[in-house]
Amino acid sequence: MQPLSQEEQYSGLPVFTLSELNTSIKEALGLAFPESVWVVAEISEIRCNSKGHCYLELVEREEEETIAQIRANIWAYTFRGIASKFEKATGESLKQGMKVLLQVNVTFHEVYGLSLNVRDIDPTYSLGEMVRKKREIIDRLTKEGLLQLNKQIPLPLVPQKIAVISSVTAAGYGDFINHIVDNPYGYKIFHTLYHSAMQGQEAESSIISALRKIRGHKDLFDAVVIVRGGGSQIDLSCFDTYGLAVEVAQFPLPVITGIGHERDDTVADLVAHTKLKTPTAVAEFLLSGMSSFEERLSNAQRTLAHLIDESMKEETHRFQYLVQHFRHIVRDRFSGEMSRIEIVLHKLIHETTQSINSHNSSLKLDMSRIVGGLNKLFQQKENRIKHCGQALRLLDPVNVLKRGYSITYFKEKAVKDIATLQEGDIIRTRVYKGMVKSKVEALHAEE
Amino acid sequence: MRKNKLTYTSAITELEKIVEEIESGEIDVDVLTEKAKRASELIKFCKDRLRNTQKEVEKTLIDIADPKAEEE
Repeated sequence: MQPLSQEEQYSGLPVFTLSELNTSIKEALGLAFPESVWVVAEISEIRCNSKGHCYLELVEREEEETIAQIRANIWAYTFRGIASKFEKATGESLKQGMKVLLQVNVTFHEVYGLSLNVRDIDPTYSLGEMVRKKREIIDRLTKEGLLQLNKQIPLPLVPQKIAVISSVTAAGYGDFINHIVDNPYGYKIFHTLYHSAMQGQEAESSIISALRKIRGHKDLFDAVVIVRGGGSQIDLSCFDTYGLAVEVAQFPLPVITGIGHERDDTVADLVAHTKLKTPTAVAEFLLSGMSSFEERLSNAQRTLAHLIDESMKEETHRFQYLVQHFRHIVRDRFSGEMSRIEIVLHKLIHETTQSINSHNSSLKLDMSRIVGGLNKLFQQKENRIKHCGQALRLLDPVNVLKRGYSITYFKEKAVKDIATLQEGDIIRTRVYKGMVKSKVEALHAEE
Repeated sequence: MRKNKLTYTSAITELEKIVEEIESGEIDVDVLTEKAKRASELIKFCKDRLRNTQKEVEKTLIDIADPKAEEE
């Protein structure tokens, strides 16, 4: 290599001015890399200025150790093309941590030094790289038993208290809220927003910190919803990280994602309890849970009403049948009894009549006999009475006295024995039509 | 009535048990009335709660809300 001016020498070596040196370097590099080359590197830093130029820091690492590093830039005009092609192919914007295959020119500027000027970036490489990385994370989560962990938490029958992780400014958040607030069923869903960045560098840590805040109030919620604006299809890599996946997988409440993408599921979707394409779909899902619960209620209500109606009808039928049966039996029984009674009655009447008749005739006979007998009896009695009358007349003391008999009284008592008297006693003798008073002169007892 | 705090799950479980019991036809008509009354209580509880604000819940949720979340 020759210095541009060979006027100065020092210790036998040429002395350059800095600009001479840098120019030499530039020329030497130009010779060494006459054409652009492809280089594989990781973006460790990326920023765009207001003019649309993009500045990168590219590195190569080996086990976390940086073993090579270089600056790179993409001029605004080129960057627009590269960025849109890259996003279209990978669904990601160029960002820190990404491995890329770049077509670069090695340039050296006398003032700004060495850098790579990026002419193109091949998204296929990054895509493959991302897929591989994602595969690795999924494998690791599978091995650690985290993939299905959150799915095992039962989602409440009616998820009514929801913690929402989203960005206030995210369109998807608005969609979600509008959907659950203005639902046609009139269901009430309680929701609380835990604000988080949903894209960009800090999204992952922001979402994780929101999850941790919710964890502190986990008893207040039925589920966590992570939603992000529809439309935007890029910048989902924060949902593909291992750190967030672990957090979601181990979360004590079911996590429902509605990250708003059309392409393959993110890792967060895979570990989530339920993944849905959009925030609106998440809202619909929650509402459908409630409406299917209500459907069950209504079914039960209908079945109950039907069953009760049925069993009432059945009871009524049974009752009616019983009444009829009863009536029947009673009627049968009644008419049976009636005819029996009638028979008995007939018999009774018959027998009675007969017996009365027979008695009657014998009675008539008896009566004439009785009357005859009685007459005779009366005659006899009359005769006897007449006879007695006669006898009585004969026995009347007056009649006896008339016939010459007398009654002697001593001391007002009739004398029936001579022994009751003594000589000298005054006695009174009743005779027909008078009394005789006399004195006993002599007593002659007779045997 | 709400001694043992009724949840959606316990309500629907009880409700569907009642339906099953009645379906089995082993329920006396006297008990039926009672069961029907309980069932309608459960249904009303759930339907009310699906749509009506429980002030306490809402208040707690607002209290713990992220300060940036003051929307609506």
